[in-house]
Amino acid sequence: MKILYSWLCDFIETPPPAEELPGKFARLGLGVESAGRSGAAVTGVVVGRIDKIDRHPNADKLSLVDVSDGAATMRVVCGAKNIAVGQLIPFARVGAVLAEGELKKAKIRGVESEGMICSAGELGLEGYDNSGILVLDPSAPLGADARALFAPPEQRASGSSSARRHVALPDWVFELEITPNLSYCLSHYALARELCVFYGLKFREPVLTELPKSAGTVAPVSVTDPCLCPRYTAVVMKGLEGAKTPDWMAARLRAMGSNPKGNLLIDVSNYVMYELGQPTHCFDLANLAGPEIKVRPSSDGESMKALDGIELRLAAGTLVIADREKPVALAGVMGGFYSSVADTTDSVLIESASFAQSAVRASSRKSGIKSESSYRFERGTDIELTMKAARRIAGLLLEAVPSAGVEQVSDNFPEPPRLPVVAADPARINAILGTAMTDEKIFACLKAIQPELSPEKPWQFTPPSYRRDIENVQDLAEEAARYNGYDLIPSASSMPVMPASSTPLAEAEAELRGRLAALGFSEVYNYDLVPLKDFRNCLLDETQAVELLNPLSSDYQYLRVSLLPGLLRTLRYNLNRGRTSVAVFETGTVYHKTKDGRKEERVCAGLTYGPFPEEQHWRGGSEMSDFYHLKGVMQAVFGGRRGFRFEKPKHRPAFLQEGAALVMKLGAGEAGVLGLADPMAVINSDLKDTQVYYFEITLSSLAESWKGSFRDRVPQVKPVSSYPAAWRDLSVLVDDKREWAEMEKDLFSLPDLARLDLIDVYKGKGVPEGQRSLTLRFTFSAMERTMTDADVNSRMEKALKKLEASFGAKLRG
Amino acid sequence: MNASEWKEKLSRVGESFSSAISGAASDNIAEVELQFLGRKGELALLLRDLGSFTIEEKKELGRLGNELKGRLVAALEAKKAELAARRACGTDSGKSRPDPAGRSAPGTDSGKSRPDPAGGGAKASAGLDLTLSGRPFPKGSLHPITQAMDRVTASLMKLGFSVAEGPHVEEDHFNFEALNFPADHPARDMQDTFYAGVKDASGKDMLLRTHTSPVQIRSMKGAALPLRIISPGRVFRSEAVDASHSFVFHQVEGLYVDRSVSMADLRWTLDAFIKDLFGSSARVRFAPTYFPFVEPGAQVEISCVFCGGTSHSSVHLGPQSGCSGKSERCPICKGTGWLEMLGAGMVHPNVLKACGHDPEKWSGFAFGAGVERFAMLLFGIKDMRMFYENDLRVWKQL
Repeated sequence: MKILYSWLCDFIETPPPAEELPGKFARLGLGVESAGRSGAAVTGVVVGRIDKIDRHPNADKLSLVDVSDGAATMRVVCGAKNIAVGQLIPFARVGAVLAEGELKKAKIRGVESEGMICSAGELGLEGYDNSGILVLDPSAPLGADARALFAPPEQRASGSSSARRHVALPDWVFELEITPNLSYCLSHYALARELCVFYGLKFREPVLTELPKSAGTVAPVSVTDPCLCPRYTAVVMKGLEGAKTPDWMAARLRAMGSNPKGNLLIDVSNYVMYELGQPTHCFDLANLAGPEIKVRPSSDGESMKALDGIELRLAAGTLVIADREKPVALAGVMGGFYSSVADTTDSVLIESASFAQSAVRASSRKSGIKSESSYRFERGTDIELTMKAARRIAGLLLEAVPSAGVEQVSDNFPEPPRLPVVAADPARINAILGTAMTDEKIFACLKAIQPELSPEKPWQFTPPSYRRDIENVQDLAEEAARYNGYDLIPSASSMPVMPASSTPLAEAEAELRGRLAALGFSEVYNYDLVPLKDFRNCLLDETQAVELLNPLSSDYQYLRVSLLPGLLRTLRYNLNRGRTSVAVFETGTVYHKTKDGRKEERVCAGLTYGPFPEEQHWRGGSEMSDFYHLKGVMQAVFGGRRGFRFEKPKHRPAFLQEGAALVMKLGAGEAGVLGLADPMAVINSDLKDTQVYYFEITLSSLAESWKGSFRDRVPQVKPVSSYPAAWRDLSVLVDDKREWAEMEKDLFSLPDLARLDLIDVYKGKGVPEGQRSLTLRFTFSAMERTMTDADVNSRMEKALKKLEASFGAKLRG
Repeated sequence: MNASEWKEKLSRVGESFSSAISGAASDNIAEVELQFLGRKGELALLLRDLGSFTIEEKKELGRLGNELKGRLVAALEAKKAELAARRACGTDSGKSRPDPAGRSAPGTDSGKSRPDPAGGGAKASAGLDLTLSGRPFPKGSLHPITQAMDRVTASLMKLGFSVAEGPHVEEDHFNFEALNFPADHPARDMQDTFYAGVKDASGKDMLLRTHTSPVQIRSMKGAALPLRIISPGRVFRSEAVDASHSFVFHQVEGLYVDRSVSMADLRWTLDAFIKDLFGSSARVRFAPTYFPFVEPGAQVEISCVFCGGTSHSSVHLGPQSGCSGKSERCPICKGTGWLEMLGAGMVHPNVLKACGHDPEKWSGFAFGAGVERFAMLLFGIKDMRMFYENDLRVWKQL
């Protein structure tokens, strides 16, 4: 919300300097988003009249204008197009100080100019059209200080009738962020009151016009449900036709970012809302059937044309203001089109009411209309304010049109609200804050907020009507801290020591991340929200996916079911930026729709593409990454985990190529898959080269293995022999169909075998078609002795026999 | 002697060469060469024995013998080059001694590894260009948010906070209702919410959690107290993406519930936490603010970790105010000396009640921090969007 310093000062006896306010606001929890000067210190500008306009002899776009200030006539050069003889305009004499600086005598295209006709901007007014000069109200007194026309009348002291005008310029504009608990501060009046309560300043109540108590009843008011509308104040005034918004009011509204219409009956509502915080509405009495006001829930099928001309179908039960026949306003949200005031309006019914927060919020949401009024009602208004606001409006109208008459003052207020009584135990307040404030200190704060608080213990604190946020002792503790400043809370603790633990999932995830990063993979983050085309591209089933009801756009419409599409996007992004090698991984959540809601799963997935390691070296050594490269990475990642092994998949894993995929198992459970990414998915994702290798690990399975006993999670050391080992190579020819893993498993039963390495796989010249040559290196080691040649020989013979018998292998000559 | 015995001898030659060469120095390198590779050296004698084998055996064994010879020659040359380099650097005493690092020449490590065919050692001469780049090893990286999150989590675990987790697609009850955001409360407007096309058990639309606070409820509900947890994780808000906003971001939530917990405990905890993260000179200050699930609520600022919080003007008045006009303003804290880091407060009695705990008996504090902000400060990242672009030119720097 915007706050004008000058307006705030209307309600503070001795206001603090503007420079101190941001700090004071922040200390109370009112966020200051911006603070800046508005306007400028303008002097020497008077009301002048244009008497004559001639063309400039040397310039087509300039005019020579005779301006009179009542005492003398001066000739000035003017470039504006909107000038006309007889206009009253702000005239700056030579020597005047304008927003841009001092005005000096100048020759413009050979003609001396004895002053300047000003635009609103040059006068330091904000929010005006600055394309031409500012045209003043014809009633402005010639020769008077032009800037003073835009300064609001000083609050009249009661009894005094003189309305002095004060010029407090330059002004300041503060943009405040007001959280819902402080919504009682949504006006200049309320904010000034808050500053006064918390900083011990003297508050100045607005001066309100006394309204005649004996006024009759022109339009009877009825409220069907006082719970939805606990108070409805109505004032009827007549004889207001043509009431115009004074310049000072328009200037303030403009500075607030509002757009005054010039019709006082419209603008005054906004003005009083910004001033007091009470939303009000003026109905044109002539267009109220009856005339009569009924505050009631709408019935089935009712509709209303809103102020902005849009026909609203009202959901049954929407709280409306109706006349005898139809709804004329959406209560607390927006007025109706037909009953709105116009330039020809003579009589108005001023509504100043209190509506239930939930009722206004519901109508605002259902109708899709958000207004400054609904914003305030949703957050709760002060029920004591309705009559004040009605009197303030009446006063402003009477000031503009002294001949207007007040025909009705009614106040439907069947039952004042019951306010909570909070036991204000100072010990409890200190316990909450961890402070040791004296009773006096705490009482001073409570008393500032509720001057009627009795010092007799136990303190029974009844919040003032505007502080509906105070409900319990915690709220009072916050007030005590705000009153004394949050710095009062010490940094001191006697918190007991507690054991801290992580979760198996978090630990498994952290370990996996660390290992992958150490092996050359970079971690990436992709969005959980994905477009439909991700599913189509990667041949995933979108019917399993959770769709958002209110996505930001179709690019972020679904929750992802796999990390693959995001990783392919990352790959493409980096290839497009000149990279040739990409090894990335992501740990994230994937989502699936289930019968009774949704299932979330943590997954770690990654892909590798291009040379690995990516840096080229003068000695070479970089190779294109392939299946075995990724398999090696997985071996390293799972290294040392009990029960880890690769298996052939029973079904083709989704988005992996048939025959180029393996399943990773941990004990009985499946830990993940790896293989060549489905070339279709890769091509669909706008990538040319399909040599993309992908892995996916289900973190819950990994976490499951973390849950086992501590002993299972830590690798156990086996002793090694202190005697020399002996190795021997063996080259055999085997059929292509024979798989290495089977042979390896079989050979591991050889006694004293310490290692078995497959050191060469060869096909080609010298090897029959359909076969391959494998060179195996056996390393034997015994715990209690050196292996002799005879030991090794007998074992190698066994090895060869096993290979011949089980796998049809032949020794290669 | 049969073929395998010959092989065994050959491998012994390799082994004894390897121990001899590793201890060799410039004064005895020639002896080593003579002993193994000389005309009457061990290898030559062994090769002479091949005469008694069959043609096939000769072929195989001869090949093995020649391979070993190649390795020995290469290793010897490497050693010579090494000694020459040492001499050039003045580190060679000229005396033979066991290699302190236990290094061995290539190709002789119990016969298992093979010489690097591109072995630089063999080709290197006394004029080694030591400025050539070393062998590259694959370098990966952890995402900056992971790194920031890990630091935050580690810090808080030292203070006795255990990690707790919760789902991303959440029930209205946990995300709002139980956290004292009643339906139709304007506080709900503070968090623009994504709704998911699935319903919870009570038939309400589920939503993407807008904060990590629902984990408070999930952890507290029906749980034994006291409780001290943190909940790191991803959250979602329906906001347009720009340099400082993202519809996906990360938070860490902290919660402590016990008998007679006070706001002084909260301040002490955050003080200790911030000092652990940013060093002992970091300070913390509180200002009032509002979150429905705490009362009193506090906004927590830390002294600027970049300028050391040297500027103390409490709130800055913008460029027109004339404050600190010409002095260099810290671009991170904008000259205020303070950085907004966390939201915090005392657990609202309604939240305790919603979890089945008596607010007259139990009290607690809660706090939450955005991890992106922390990561941005930590790594100098200026734009939120970078976190999800995954440009490896950037990530590889981490």
